[in-house]
Amino acid sequence: MTLLERTRGVLNRAIDVYRGNDAAHRLVELRHRLDEPLRVAVAGRVKAGKSTLLNALVGERLAPTDAGECTRIVTWYRDGHTYRVMAYPADGGQPKQLRFHREEGALEVDLGGLAPTDVRHLDVTWPSQALRTATLVDTPGIGSLSEQLARRTWELLTAEDEEAPADAVLYLMRHLHSNDLEFLRAFHDTEVSQPNPVNAIGVLSRADEIGVGRLDSMASARRIANRMATDHSVRRVVQTVVPVAGLLAETAATLTEAEVAQLRKVAALPVREAEELLLSADRFVQLRPELGLTELERASLLGRFGLFGIRLATTLLRRGTASTATDLAEQLTERSGLTELREVLSSLFFERRDVLKCRSVLLALDALTRTDPRPGSSVVAAEVEEIISSAHPFRELRVLSAIRAGWVTGKPAVIAELERLIGGSGSSPQLRLDLPPDADKPAILAAANEALVRWQRRAENPLTNHELAVAARVAIRSCEGMIAELGGRR
Amino acid sequence: MPTAPTKDPVATVRTLVDLGLRACDAYGRSDLAARLTKAQRSLADPVIHVVVVGEFKQGKSSLVNALVGANVCPVDDDVATAVPTYVRHGKEPTAAVLYDEDPPRREQISIEDVRGCVVEPGRAGAAGVEVRIPRKLLANGLVIVDTPGVGGLGSAHAAASLAAAAMAEALIFVTDAAQELTRSELDFLQQAREMCPTVVCALTKTDFYPYWRKIRDLNTEHLAREQLPAPVIPVTSTLRTRAVATNDSALNAESGFAELVKFLADRVGGRAADRLAGDAAAEVAAVCSQLEAQFEAERAALTDSAAAQDVVAKLTRVKERVDELRAAAARWSTTLNDGIADLNSDVDHDLKGRIRRVIQEADEAIEEADPADTWSEMQPWLESRIAHELLANYTLLRDRATALSEEVGEHFRQASGEVLNRIAIPNPTPLLSDAKVDHKLELEKMKIGKQAMVALKSAYGGALMFVMLGAMTGVTLGPLGLGIGLVMGRKGLREEKKRQRTARQNQAKNAVRRYCDEVSFVMGKHSRDTLRKIQRQLRDHYTTLAEELNRSNNEALASAQAAVKRTQAERDKRTKDIDAELTRLRKLRQQAMAVVRS
Repeated sequence: MTLLERTRGVLNRAIDVYRGNDAAHRLVELRHRLDEPLRVAVAGRVKAGKSTLLNALVGERLAPTDAGECTRIVTWYRDGHTYRVMAYPADGGQPKQLRFHREEGALEVDLGGLAPTDVRHLDVTWPSQALRTATLVDTPGIGSLSEQLARRTWELLTAEDEEAPADAVLYLMRHLHSNDLEFLRAFHDTEVSQPNPVNAIGVLSRADEIGVGRLDSMASARRIANRMATDHSVRRVVQTVVPVAGLLAETAATLTEAEVAQLRKVAALPVREAEELLLSADRFVQLRPELGLTELERASLLGRFGLFGIRLATTLLRRGTASTATDLAEQLTERSGLTELREVLSSLFFERRDVLKCRSVLLALDALTRTDPRPGSSVVAAEVEEIISSAHPFRELRVLSAIRAGWVTGKPAVIAELERLIGGSGSSPQLRLDLPPDADKPAILAAANEALVRWQRRAENPLTNHELAVAARVAIRSCEGMIAELGGRR
Repeated sequence: MPTAPTKDPVATVRTLVDLGLRACDAYGRSDLAARLTKAQRSLADPVIHVVVVGEFKQGKSSLVNALVGANVCPVDDDVATAVPTYVRHGKEPTAAVLYDEDPPRREQISIEDVRGCVVEPGRAGAAGVEVRIPRKLLANGLVIVDTPGVGGLGSAHAAASLAAAAMAEALIFVTDAAQELTRSELDFLQQAREMCPTVVCALTKTDFYPYWRKIRDLNTEHLAREQLPAPVIPVTSTLRTRAVATNDSALNAESGFAELVKFLADRVGGRAADRLAGDAAAEVAAVCSQLEAQFEAERAALTDSAAAQDVVAKLTRVKERVDELRAAAARWSTTLNDGIADLNSDVDHDLKGRIRRVIQEADEAIEEADPADTWSEMQPWLESRIAHELLANYTLLRDRATALSEEVGEHFRQASGEVLNRIAIPNPTPLLSDAKVDHKLELEKMKIGKQAMVALKSAYGGALMFVMLGAMTGVTLGPLGLGIGLVMGRKGLREEKKRQRTARQNQAKNAVRRYCDEVSFVMGKHSRDTLRKIQRQLRDHYTTLAEELNRSNNEALASAQAAVKRTQAERDKRTKDIDAELTRLRKLRQQAMAVVRS
């Protein structure tokens, strides 16, 4: 029986137990949730670039963005057949359909007389390929000057009496010092159930700003992201850290031919003159009137690309690295870090979506049986605990957390192998066994068998410390699972 | 005739101090000369601190570099400034590492080594780095202090920066144009204003953010709403650096730095120079008053023998008063001793109360969550809470010490004022109008309270907090004993987790207590030492003053007694001489007062 089936089973039993109770319809919703796309929240402090990144991931300018504080209401973006916006009132009343229109692509929702504080969340249904793999949740930043808005996010992410609404989280972090209290606290502010390296990825957002728009800014950002990812306090809460220049990624996803034509005019300038022109944002707007670009066009280019984006795009065009709009879009997406983020998302979240969804559901059930015990609920609770403690994917996740928390100790190389083997870098066999992505079945089988023998030896070695031995047994089970799946003999 | 204040009050005062010194020399008053020599020294080497503060990676070091037009503070995308850098004027570029030891030590290093000492991890034990470069902007004593933005504005480091700001003339608050001011930045500004009244908000990186005008307006609004009267000056260090390199004045204007430089020159440097000049001029005026009193007494004694007897009798009575003033049981002295004792106990009580509250809060926080999850956050939280409480405790000490210093000064003034007035009574010449008494009050009032600050500055220096930070690291929780075997077990998972959690919570609470004990101990000693220094400083100051008065009075007495024995011709001649001296002294005093008043 798979984890998904077991979870569905215990959920059905819980629905029977709680029939006729307030909790019943929530349980039914939980059951739907198992069939829906994974829910990924985009969280982080105010002005971290959450909406911009969300747009980049969707590939459309949906969420409104602005230089000032902008996102005021928690907003769900999900795939559907029709375009629709619903408002869920804060007092728990009936959801209300709202009117909306698009302003330069971004959604402008008419709250229809509701104050932002009266709305618990907005639910946007939007036919989109990208939203089919994940429902995205945009949040107002924490640390906002408006306390009300911050509280909304808090409620969404730390829901006490109901299930955690999101299955996984993208934490957007700006470049902060590792001693920064804000930095450490950011995770607690936005914790989803528990700070957990299992369901969270860190995004070093606005990465182009780290080098203040120098052409090597992204390289600098990557170095910093790597350092952050090895920082102990970061490792405890996120799996990895990926640098992303959100604005550039968003623009690359929605690049127009007209914009490329405008950029070509700048790229046609001699290097020195282009450099002078791009020395500051103000200069770009005001200097060289003979360029054939109006101030309005220039300002809009700046708004879309940022100074770093214009510098990068014109350099690419001038050097001929990119010649067409498609080329340029591809290059910019790659260089913005979005491609890497997508890969990481897919290997760490999407390939593991069932485990993550089951985890959310089981945690919710666990909370419910404790806060609202009823006749028969103890049986449900016992079964939930049984699944949580015995299902192999969960044991893997727990060992992963334990490694990240520093409880499992050993030689760094051994620990790194262990982490990979139990799916720390992604759950495909190639990633677990550190093989190239195109490794064929016999190669994978051979590697899995080798790993199995190696870890069996480690588990039985009397010199191996207790914690590592326990973890090793989980690793053995992971190897066996891979071998069984590939149809090899044990 | 009071001279109109010229453009450069410092230069004017410098000549006045020289004149005063010559007078002291001529009348053989080496004690008064010592006072003026001190004033002369502080005029020659003025120090005006401007502290640059702000969050991590807002461009503080770049701003300092652009401001002085030299690469003195290391800039990096990732690595941060670890210790404060003091950038000041020097004929040749030199650099030194400062160690806050007893006595403070400095080690000369080459300019190339500055980077290694300033950026993280820094040099062990270093409290700061001083870089001297020849710059016109710094020539009038401006010292620009680049601080670490480590740990965010709520952190212990921020509290240390605030403590440093208490000694500064002005604060440059740096925030970049990426976003409007955040809550923690505004909170920091509120606190900063308590410590240092002149604050300017530099909006950096305006070359990179096209929407900087909007951010500037938003920030101005936020500041107005919070009633923080700090001007927002948009700047771009990139353009300024380029402008300096290519000597392009149009680009310099575009960089926005011209306005910042103007602010520093006018509002900060100018004001500090005025105050410095005022202080020195007040010393000159005070010295003149004492010399005048002496001559006036003699002149009164010279009128006729009856008057002379009267003057001698009065001066003898004054001598008794002055002796009282010098005695250990003088009222000002009692006030000082009692005041310091009270202050000692109050400051200590305040500190203990604050630490106790922190422990309570920490206990509550520990109860709420598992230390295994929160300890890494708990530690900086604790450090920052403690640092802010220490800062509040220090503020109490500062305010109370200033008040005490005022009280002691007031008592001294009452006693000595009487004395001085008495000398003046027998001969109410038209020159000795009420204005004289007035200006004396004015002068004394001005100088009162300053004494405590002088003591505080020498005792505290603001560096303490940074040093404390070094001592505070390493609050460790023993190994977190959550065995993985238990995590993997099926039964009793929750109970065992709970048991272990309770054990960790107790461990954490003990760690917090140990730490707070240590802080209490170190800080308690430090504030006692500070208060002792203040006491010594005040005592020495007023004892010297009493000695000066005593000497003035003795000399007046001696010359009055001598006057009795003189012949009429001698008297006439002496009166004429004295009048000439008095005119000179009065003129000097009036000139000095003109500077004090302006």
